[in-house]
Amino acid sequence: MEPISTINVLSPWEPGILALGVFTLMSLILIIALLFLANWIGEKKPNPEKLRPYECGIIPTGTARFRYPVAFYLIAAFFLIFDVEAAYIFSWAIAFERLGWPGWLQISFFIVILLISLFYIWKKGGLEWGSTTHKNPPIRETSSLPSSTL
Amino acid sequence: MAAVFTPRFDLARFGAEVLRGSPRQADVIIVAGTVFKKIAPIIVRLYEQMAEPKWVISMGSCCNCGGMYDVYSVVQGLNQLIPVDVYVTGCPPRPEALEHGLTILQQKILSEERPSRSVLHLGGGTQGTTHPILIDGKTKSRDTRGPGMEGIPIRGTSVTSPRFWDSRSDLIWAPPPRQVELHERDKSLAHVLEEKFGDSIQKTHETSDMLTFHVAENRVKGVLKFLKTEASPKYLRLDDLTAIDESARRDQKPLPYYDGTVANEVGQNGKSVCPDKGVYPDYTLVYHLLSFDPPGRLRLKVGLTGQDPTTQTVTDIWPSANWYERETYEMFGIRFEGHPDLRRLIMPHDWEGYPLQKSHPGRATEMAPYTRASALKHQPLDAGAFVKQREGDQELLVLNIGPQHVGTHGLMRFIVSLDGERISDISLDIGYHHRGVEKIGEHQSWHQFIPYTDRVDYMGGVANNLSYLQSVEILAGIKVPERAQYVRVMLSEIFRINNHLVWFGTNAHDVGAMTPTFYTFREREQLMDVVELITGGRLHPAWFRIGGLAMDLPDGWKEAVDRFVKTLRERIRDYEALITKNPIFKARTQGVGVLSLKDAMEWGVTGPNLRACGLEWDLRKKIPYSSYENFEFDIPIATGCDCYARYLVRVEEIRQSLRIIEQAANQMPGGRYVTDDYRYTVPEKKDTLKDIESLIHHFINTTRGPKVPKGEAYTATEISRGEQGYYVVSDGLNMAYRMRIRTPGFANVQVMPLMARGGLISDLLAIIGSIDYILPDIDR
Repeated sequence: MEPISTINVLSPWEPGILALGVFTLMSLILIIALLFLANWIGEKKPNPEKLRPYECGIIPTGTARFRYPVAFYLIAAFFLIFDVEAAYIFSWAIAFERLGWPGWLQISFFIVILLISLFYIWKKGGLEWGSTTHKNPPIRETSSLPSSTL
Repeated sequence: MAAVFTPRFDLARFGAEVLRGSPRQADVIIVAGTVFKKIAPIIVRLYEQMAEPKWVISMGSCCNCGGMYDVYSVVQGLNQLIPVDVYVTGCPPRPEALEHGLTILQQKILSEERPSRSVLHLGGGTQGTTHPILIDGKTKSRDTRGPGMEGIPIRGTSVTSPRFWDSRSDLIWAPPPRQVELHERDKSLAHVLEEKFGDSIQKTHETSDMLTFHVAENRVKGVLKFLKTEASPKYLRLDDLTAIDESARRDQKPLPYYDGTVANEVGQNGKSVCPDKGVYPDYTLVYHLLSFDPPGRLRLKVGLTGQDPTTQTVTDIWPSANWYERETYEMFGIRFEGHPDLRRLIMPHDWEGYPLQKSHPGRATEMAPYTRASALKHQPLDAGAFVKQREGDQELLVLNIGPQHVGTHGLMRFIVSLDGERISDISLDIGYHHRGVEKIGEHQSWHQFIPYTDRVDYMGGVANNLSYLQSVEILAGIKVPERAQYVRVMLSEIFRINNHLVWFGTNAHDVGAMTPTFYTFREREQLMDVVELITGGRLHPAWFRIGGLAMDLPDGWKEAVDRFVKTLRERIRDYEALITKNPIFKARTQGVGVLSLKDAMEWGVTGPNLRACGLEWDLRKKIPYSSYENFEFDIPIATGCDCYARYLVRVEEIRQSLRIIEQAANQMPGGRYVTDDYRYTVPEKKDTLKDIESLIHHFINTTRGPKVPKGEAYTATEISRGEQGYYVVSDGLNMAYRMRIRTPGFANVQVMPLMARGGLISDLLAIIGSIDYILPDIDR
């Protein structure tokens, strides 16, 4: 008995535009369903008081939209830079054997450069919290008082 | 409230666990405690800002109906502002009561409201109650006797101000007030002052407690300056500054017949030159000063005349006078010339009248009803009014922290100007917890007032009673039996530990450590069991009486106390293992919130906060009272002046308190628990069954109240937060003429901007935790 050849009966599995279309459609349906449900179920009774920003029960003063010095911004920027470094190192680690010694040398060079820049930032005070211009004020008075004034 | 979340009561079992920091994420608002007119607009706003569904639990008698605070600053019931679903009774309610209230609410939702029906658009069902709010005087009774009494006329005369006619206390004879022989040092100081200031200063002939002078208004500043900088000893601290409205005095005899207060004689140029013996003053300003070495106190009284009197500020001598003068201004209408910022401090900024004047109504039920419309009208002052922003400054974020904030430990408002996360300026807005206790003291009998003292520092329990009773006992010259003194010491120390355990948990929690709360509240429940065994109450036992205690110690008290001391002594080691060397805790507290010793003394900081600046000062040792001189204990101090130092001092204080409790329990003397002089006290019940004298005193002192001789006395005790003093002024009636409470929190908090300015906003919470304040103690 001849084995039935299946090679030409079914078309080969070729991931293409169809799958992407199905995925997009499903995502859209899900999002619309969620939005609709939230909108339909959530009871809306807006009034000016409710729409006001919450600030511990007090009516807020001034605007929140102005240039706001965020110490966190600097730290976040550093984090991003060093995070990208991790992406390179992981991809190198996956192809570790194939890249061999030349690859190792290249990534070592990359890491050393980054380490030097890290120490540079550290030394410059970039990792200190808050802006470097003002620090905690010193103690206003000496903490001991001569007993004669008592 | 706090206890329900902790291990013994564990609210999580009932399906409610997570406290939300903002109304947006909450579906039930538990309004716990008194509803004040100053906070009412904020409660309404929080309710409005909640998302549906929303339910309301009114927790505690004050919140339900005003409770025992029928006073000008308190709204007589939450249901006048927002609709209430469940009322939880008690003052304060036990944790079980709140849990019961929560289960009742759950049943109510299941059986009546069924909010899911309206969610699914099925018709019927509501999201929160639909009952209308009540209107004081229309849909709810304003009769202080309760509902259903409208047809019956009120009998007798009202004890309320300005005058109480025909008091039957006049028919009672009372011995003269206690008189003390002055120390040689005081006599020589009086001599020096009289030589230096001549006629403008005059020593009183008799005094019940301390050296007292009448001073002419225009010389008082000079006298104060001299006393602070040149006198021997130097009176370095302004302990208290307050006033008395003299308009309702019954016996306005000027000097020399009446040895109370005198006004100032008006000189040729309209300025007063010396105390006048012919005019009775309209107001009396009272300064209490304290010297550290040797420990002592002194009182200056300044008579002021006129409806709108004015005097000089002393803020340039003591910076701490700032708030005291503002308070005196807003309560009495006395103006202080040269004060940097003389405006209302405690009352709402748009309040009319001066509450502690005798002509101002005392009771809320005497005033117009407070409605929801009033709440919408009287909004708290905009934060911009507190911020002093100069031209050319960089833009700062003005942020309100509080009054409704989990981190502020009560109703307190910090207005911070932020440069990034750094606090460039900070102002405080207090008074959201002002209960008008001082006014209440003027129409409650000497005995009736005791429960009000419990609630001043509500973690301090009976330790508050002691401060008050001591002043009354000194004024009337009552001798307290030794056994009662020892029990008072033991219970006061138990409540000090109670306070410090709660502080330990919350302070650690403020800087991010959650675990200690569950440990310390476990031991606190054991402590509450001891308190309940002895007094029958938990937080506010009101168990001390004039001349002693309410009853003797019960059987089995010794074992319970011993067991507690033994347990806690071991457990403190656990707490310390968690926190003391914890690197995160150290990083958050060391060098944070630094307050120098000099500043602390200038600003009148007391208690552990002062001792953390390195000064060995504790009233229990320096000016002993209630037999504290018989106990062996140390005054823990630290020298760091920062949040960590304050932590170290309090932890050590728990240990020292345990030592005192142990000694008190072991050496407990026998004998009476209440004085046998029944003139001022409620006699022992068994005596009333034997002799008619005791029966008469029992009847009089529980109904009308004892008559306390005309005079005044001020004493302070070391409660857990610092020095709490009561200045009682009697006009020879069954109630005080003026009841002044000097609280540690008022002075301790006033100094906070010094610590927080320039620090990070996260440091502010560490500072709040380490200062350990409590709101009714600040606002009274």
